[in-house]
Amino acid sequence: MRSGTSKGTAARLFGYLGDQKIRLTVVAVSIVLYVILSIWNPMYSAVVVDHLWENIQAAKNSGQVFAVTWERTGAELARLALQYFLAWLFYYLQVYLMASVAETMILKMRRQIAAKLNRLPLRFFDRNKAGEILSHVTSDLDKISEVMQTGLLKLITALGTIIGSLAVMFYYSAALTALFLVFMAVCMGITKIVSERNLKYASEQQETIGALTGLAEEYYNGRNVIKAFRHEAESIRDIQQAAEQVRIANQKTGFLTNCVNPLIRLLTRMSHVVIALIAGRAMLEGRMTVGVVQAFFQYINQTGEPMTEASYMINSLQTAFASAARTFQLLDEEEERPDPAVPADIGRAKGEISFSHISFGYEPERLLMKDISFTARPGQKIAIVGSTGAGKTTLVNLLMRFYEVSGGQIRLDGVSTAQMSRKGLRENFGMVLQDTWLFGGTVAENIAYGRPDAPREEIIGAARAAKADYFIRTMPQGYDTIVDHEAANLSAGQKQLLTIARVFLADPPVIILDEATSSVDTRTEAEIGKAMKLLMTGRTSFVIAHRLSTIRDADLILYMEHGNILEQGNHKELLKKNGRYAALYYSQFA
Amino acid sequence: MRLIIQFLKPHWKLFAATVVLLTLDVMGGLFIPTLAAQMLNLGTAGAPFARLCRTGALMAAAALASGACAIGGGYLCAVLVSRVSRDIRVALYEKSLKLSIYDFRHFGTASITTRTVSDVNTIQMALTNTVQLILPVPIICVTALILCFRLDVQIGLVLLAVIGVLCLLAGGILYSAVPLFQKLQKLLDRMSQVFLENITGVRVIRAFNNEEREEQRTDEAFGDYAATSIKANLRFANLDALSFFFINIFIIAVYYMSGAKISVGALEIGDITAMIEYAILVMFFLMMAQMVILTLPRALECCGRIREILEHTPEILDQTEENPRERDVPAEAVLEFRDVSFRFADAQEDALSHLSFVCRRGETTAVIGGTGSGKSTIASLALRFHDVSEGQVLLNGIDIRKMPQAYLRDHLGYVQQKAWLFSGTIASNLRYGNEGASEEELLHALEVAQAGELIRSLPDGLQSYVAQGGANFSGGQKQRLSIARALVKRPELYIVDDGFSALDFKTDAALRKALAEETKDAAVLIIAQRVSTIRRASQIIVLHDGKMAGIGTHEELMAHCRVYREIYESQTKEAQEE
Repeated sequence: MRSGTSKGTAARLFGYLGDQKIRLTVVAVSIVLYVILSIWNPMYSAVVVDHLWENIQAAKNSGQVFAVTWERTGAELARLALQYFLAWLFYYLQVYLMASVAETMILKMRRQIAAKLNRLPLRFFDRNKAGEILSHVTSDLDKISEVMQTGLLKLITALGTIIGSLAVMFYYSAALTALFLVFMAVCMGITKIVSERNLKYASEQQETIGALTGLAEEYYNGRNVIKAFRHEAESIRDIQQAAEQVRIANQKTGFLTNCVNPLIRLLTRMSHVVIALIAGRAMLEGRMTVGVVQAFFQYINQTGEPMTEASYMINSLQTAFASAARTFQLLDEEEERPDPAVPADIGRAKGEISFSHISFGYEPERLLMKDISFTARPGQKIAIVGSTGAGKTTLVNLLMRFYEVSGGQIRLDGVSTAQMSRKGLRENFGMVLQDTWLFGGTVAENIAYGRPDAPREEIIGAARAAKADYFIRTMPQGYDTIVDHEAANLSAGQKQLLTIARVFLADPPVIILDEATSSVDTRTEAEIGKAMKLLMTGRTSFVIAHRLSTIRDADLILYMEHGNILEQGNHKELLKKNGRYAALYYSQFA
Repeated sequence: MRLIIQFLKPHWKLFAATVVLLTLDVMGGLFIPTLAAQMLNLGTAGAPFARLCRTGALMAAAALASGACAIGGGYLCAVLVSRVSRDIRVALYEKSLKLSIYDFRHFGTASITTRTVSDVNTIQMALTNTVQLILPVPIICVTALILCFRLDVQIGLVLLAVIGVLCLLAGGILYSAVPLFQKLQKLLDRMSQVFLENITGVRVIRAFNNEEREEQRTDEAFGDYAATSIKANLRFANLDALSFFFINIFIIAVYYMSGAKISVGALEIGDITAMIEYAILVMFFLMMAQMVILTLPRALECCGRIREILEHTPEILDQTEENPRERDVPAEAVLEFRDVSFRFADAQEDALSHLSFVCRRGETTAVIGGTGSGKSTIASLALRFHDVSEGQVLLNGIDIRKMPQAYLRDHLGYVQQKAWLFSGTIASNLRYGNEGASEEELLHALEVAQAGELIRSLPDGLQSYVAQGGANFSGGQKQRLSIARALVKRPELYIVDDGFSALDFKTDAALRKALAEETKDAAVLIIAQRVSTIRRASQIIVLHDGKMAGIGTHEELMAHCRVYREIYESQTKEAQEE
């Protein structure tokens, strides 16, 4: 990461905190006061202890029993108590106020991303993996949150405390402080070495875990074969071996992690011993007072830990910035072209669709479709044919305006779709695609996706029309059954029937159907076929055909290859033409 | 908890040694401030430097000893925890083999893999932290109190009060925070799910113009998560600050109370720092323990998920360990279903009801029917992956429940619906059921399975590499290889569960012909979707909704069975059309 961009990222990140200015100002003031107090308190405690000690000595010398009174140390003690109280107050103030700062900021970013996604063109979704996009919203933002929440606060406080404490320590004894710093340098060196080693072992561990996961997956998937062929004992042995490899790697990383802290502790204690000895000598010789010595140790304690942790803290800060940079990149993606200011409103269309001189390419410099024209009259059936990757979805993309054409016009009822709002256009379309998408909600909610306010009778009516009513009734809670994550409780065929019901309920004048019924058995396939046929009646329909039998009665067949429409016409015309379509048709009967 | 105890038991000596070492470390840690105080005392009392040095040497020795104990304890802890997690993994796998297909599917491959790998990882981490950071807490508290009471009873009582308050506070806040954190995890899952739905369903969402509704849905999920995590943060801010507060009170109290005691010689000035140090150490460990305790509910959930599997009563157990006596004359009826009904544990209706048929030696019996008709259940019952609910399944005239599962499966060759190969070589896969098979036998089986051509086309032939699950082969190739695997075993009964579905019609036909020749002395049970595959079978069983809708030859069924005719027509019509 270049410093220029990281500075930009940081500035932008802090820009999100703008609406929490007052809160943050209070936090900043508290931090400053807290740091000052935590440097001052041990120093003052030195005064108190020395005072106490003098008073005690004085009392002893005069043969009296010493008791703390207001004049004798009481006032100082009260002041120390007050200072402690203030330090606590400022500490409390900052952690309390910061508890919501980071999450509030992250919430804002999350919402922005979600809103952004709705404005991004389909191109973005086709080019990026869902899991990667998701990681922006979850792990990336969580990292930022964590660092903003505690890391940053700690870092600032630690920085102030270290600098201040060291200054006081130098003032007390330059030699001891120098000695302390030498020990700290050794500690930091050790942490660095150990963390590098740990990285190496961790990747070793990851490898063995990967191997175990692979083996477990393989054996769990093949367990019927393992049992049928009586390989239980061998497979257990294999798993044992893989688990043992993981164990060895675990033991190594575990030990390393477990021994870092004791090692550091040992070194710090050794430094304490040496410092205590030297300080003791200084005390004997009257160069240091007891109060100062105990204060010196307080400083050692409050600077030691943050110093050994410094590299870790800086590291996490860097990761957080990297996460922020990725998030901003997403937020800066180019958006969809806005709808026209005064969109043409055609209401419910009759369903005439025409392509005139359409050219299109996913990349502007590489056109796939060149000068395509055809017309579909209301109620007609248009079949789209071609092998996988021929660009059948391209046509869907253009019809629905998921992608914009590069040249020419698509008209719905004679109005260019580019002049309409996307909403107005899409209201006239219904889609049943191959990858059936259902969301986590009830079956009824899923059917009513296009018309959330539809009454239950209409939902059931749509399900009936889609031949889905029967199986829905056999589900545990019928229409109120929750479609769980990834709809595991539904078969592929059932999912498809639900998406058909969804379109029935929305009742659009134009529909786009993908006929593919892979991984569906023959009988369910027949049901789906019937439901689709019923759906097509009275609507202009675009059918992505996989089976030539459904094509023959189509009013228009579009034969596609490499994203382009090569031939068009009805079945007879195309056979007569004796071109590619005819070749495909005859090849299936040869 | 029980799970952990169960798996710690075999390593109890190791566990005890770890605890002892860690205890020593902690005690050493408390002894050091005591010595430091002594040094301070000596310094103020004007003792000779040599005595100071002696105390210093003692301190260094204590630090070394405590450090050695800590590192040793850390080592033992790593050994212990890694062993426990290995044992859990192996136990899980062993148990998984004992589950019936239905139970296994109920858990799901992905879920069981997660339990074996990442759930155990979570437990391992939690266990390490518990041993290292929670177990020492009571030891620290008690030792610190003893040391403090030894110096001064009154101040000891104050420390006791402070520790008590801190523990109460920590306990109280944890008590309220644990459910909060569980809720947070759920909200996080929900947030991811809703957001992922938004990405994968982008086309549908836009087609239905539902962008705003989806935005509301995500906003809601995001908002819930943020609100809950702020709540959780506040709890901890409170705890953090309050601990700090009480320690400060203790420090002031020590200063205040010790003045008089020092002047009468009951205490020395250095003892002040020692007592303060004890309190700070206690607080430090309490804070660490809290952080760990927060991660425990998740680990406990993982334990629960693992126990769910380990404690699941297997559906199928061997009732006898004795193999039935082999007959002198091989039975005519190799496999018989006698009035068999089967119902899944949680089902309302039978998956199969009152099914009777016989697979004879030298004959092919076929089963056909739509999805959910119960076809594959027949294979599962014959393999005893399930036990029948009513009726009997007999192998060579003996009820399969009256023989060990190993004996039964030795007599069966199985070709699975979803062909599955293991990573290794083709040869190692083919020898899966018959380790002693010669190369000729392997090649012959491949020839019969119509995979001879395939092997010849591979540069390494039989030694060709097979990836996990056979992923480097096509569906049809995998099916042919798994048929060859069954052939190498030379069983008495072949069970082919939809094992021809990925073959083209030509290969299907050639394979059936070669197979008929090869399996003359065995019985074959084929479960299929395609009429063409089974058309020539000696008998065809038509299943519809778990009931037998017809049995007979193709011609007989065409004449009398409506369901069969429907299946036939739906498939041939398409073939004609295309």
